[in-house]
Amino acid sequence: MKRQRPSLSIATTAFQVLARTQAAALGQPGLPVAIIPHPLGPRSRAELRDMVAEHLPALVALVSEDKAIKP
Amino acid sequence: MNARQTPAAPPVLIEVDDDIEAINRLYRERRWGDGLPVIPPTRERVERMLSGTQRAPDEVIARIAPGFGAATVHLIAVNAVLAGCEAQHLPVLIAATAAIAEQPLNLQGIQATTNPATALLIINGPIAATLELNSGLNCLGQGNWGNAVLGRALHLIMQNIGRALPGEMDRATQGQPGKFTFCCAENEAASPWPPLHVDKGFRPDQSTVTVVGASGTLNMLCHEKDANDLLRVMADSIAYPTSNDYWCGGAPWVMLGPEHAEIFAQAGMDKEHVRLQLWEQSKMKASRRSIKDYARTRDARAAELGDIGPDTLLPVSPTPADLGILVAGGPGTHSVYIPTFGNTRSVTRLIEP
Repeated sequence: MKRQRPSLSIATTAFQVLARTQAAALGQPGLPVAIIPHPLGPRSRAELRDMVAEHLPALVALVSEDKAIKP
Repeated sequence: MNARQTPAAPPVLIEVDDDIEAINRLYRERRWGDGLPVIPPTRERVERMLSGTQRAPDEVIARIAPGFGAATVHLIAVNAVLAGCEAQHLPVLIAATAAIAEQPLNLQGIQATTNPATALLIINGPIAATLELNSGLNCLGQGNWGNAVLGRALHLIMQNIGRALPGEMDRATQGQPGKFTFCCAENEAASPWPPLHVDKGFRPDQSTVTVVGASGTLNMLCHEKDANDLLRVMADSIAYPTSNDYWCGGAPWVMLGPEHAEIFAQAGMDKEHVRLQLWEQSKMKASRRSIKDYARTRDARAAELGDIGPDTLLPVSPTPADLGILVAGGPGTHSVYIPTFGNTRSVTRLIEP
């Protein structure tokens, strides 16, 4: 269902195939999927914060591109 | 329109050489099987299978996560043939397919998780005898046609229609043998208590299928004849610190061997007493979990339990009623603990023609 909002998914490399296959299965093959390194589990909170800081500009860019699902 | 709403694709007929080995090679190459040889679903075999139901072949029974393929009666029949079923098994598979798609089971989570969770089928009512299903010795093991092919067919439906291919959308870290087949009947004749489908509100003369998001089986050997001591050690076996159920408040099952059930009954305990005692006595100190999983549990169960400290006693499930009990197996001092994915609840459906 389209809710008129830009959307994207974030998945780690281990779940990349799942994310892309499921997006297609749900009728959204163009859903932007941001892929970040796996695993997240062993990382400390500080490391996770660093990852967010590192990847945030790319995530913002991804929903800003034409391929993002937008109104 | 998304995939959950699109019409079911019509059946596709492919022509291959009439050679069982060539057909199985094709199934392996296209990943349409489970690794074991399959029975080719020829048009004639599928038509014979469809004689087992009064439903129309194009009726959509459910959409199967995570691919949300449409499980038509026809496609269920195709997978039933692949697994080695015959027409009398089809109504069970139709009910089981509807059951796995019900929201409380959380099939999306079960199919796509790294956990080994999969669907365990439990059959109750007169159909278990009609289909000669095994509820006794080795009921979760090999050797019984009905148990083997029903569980196998449901798993092929989950993989082929739900598109949960291992390594792709099925992300199980190791998986478990139950992902090939996992099915038994309750041993109603040997149980001192009403069967589970009667607990769920069905009549004894009705037949049902119950699906459970099971992570595996843990054998519980105990020669104790004192009912309270037997409860104590079973509860202690439920409480292990790496359990998914304690993380989010699950719905695990205890499959009591008839000898253990009889010890409880002889002590005057009914099923509800056993359920309540197992639930109470299996509460586990939150600090037994790893530091990280303790933190995850604090987040996951805050709404249910409030502020969780290291000494908080975590119940395995939010309420005693979420802890399932059935009686199955043959002679011997064994019972089975069946942990679950955690974020899942069993579903029971009536089996209809």
